[in-house]
Amino acid sequence: MSLTEKDKEEARKEKFEEETSASAEEELLLPRDTLLSAGIHIGTRMKTKDMEQFIYRVRPDGLFVLDVKKTDERIRVAAKFLARFEPSRIAAAAARLYAQEPVKKFCEAVGATPIVGRFIPGLLSNPLYPNRIEPNVLIVSDPRADSQAVREAASVGVPVVALCSTDNDFSGVDLVIPTNNKGRRALAVIYWLLARQVLREREELPPDKDMPLTIEDFEAKISKEEEES
Amino acid sequence: MAEKAATITLVTCTSCGKPIPPGAEATKFLCPNCGEILIRRCTKCRKFGRQYKCPKCGFIGP
Repeated sequence: MSLTEKDKEEARKEKFEEETSASAEEELLLPRDTLLSAGIHIGTRMKTKDMEQFIYRVRPDGLFVLDVKKTDERIRVAAKFLARFEPSRIAAAAARLYAQEPVKKFCEAVGATPIVGRFIPGLLSNPLYPNRIEPNVLIVSDPRADSQAVREAASVGVPVVALCSTDNDFSGVDLVIPTNNKGRRALAVIYWLLARQVLREREELPPDKDMPLTIEDFEAKISKEEEES
Repeated sequence: MAEKAATITLVTCTSCGKPIPPGAEATKFLCPNCGEILIRRCTKCRKFGRQYKCPKCGFIGP
């Protein structure tokens, strides 16, 4: 092969790679930069064997980084899964402070039942509890923080969809969405994406349109005192 | 005349293939990806977070 042919071949390869990476980017639910700036890929310094499959690399400071493509895929799958349930039979639990506002907004958007703050034991499993709810699917923001909800869902046979970071295990979880489940912005983006995708799957929202609620609406608000400190 | 023996067919766990006894804390749901196959997970497989695979679309969970 002559030099010019080699150059042509290389150029073709480069073009193909560019095209494939561009098409991969197009496939994402939000631009890669938006996802990365929200920090949905940021994990923790701890890694579990279960979450190994979703980890992209380890940063020099020891922080495990999640694969954004896999997060995107799982959001699509989870949305398809949730769209098959009756809206009122979907429950979303959030014990973590930063997850409470996103969960409230998510439930408002898709018509689900929010369980924010402390999960009252028996809420799913005690038939004598007057305010008991009987969901068909449960979404948890962190399987560790919402362990009571996961345990009760397991006892009543309700499938659990969980947002898992690199330090979570899959105990009691039926579908994992690998993401940063601690960041304020990351939780807002994930719940916003999930809500939008569920509405699109239900065909309540056209595939090229966004919801009236913005990501900022989903974000937990910080009080001035907290901001100053 | 010989009596016919009644047989019960137990459903099996998608992950481990073992039969799920009635009343166990198991779960069942349609495949999250294709929504056509019913995935059943026994108590132990859920507790240990064992993988399940959809026989139709090949989706691997959790």
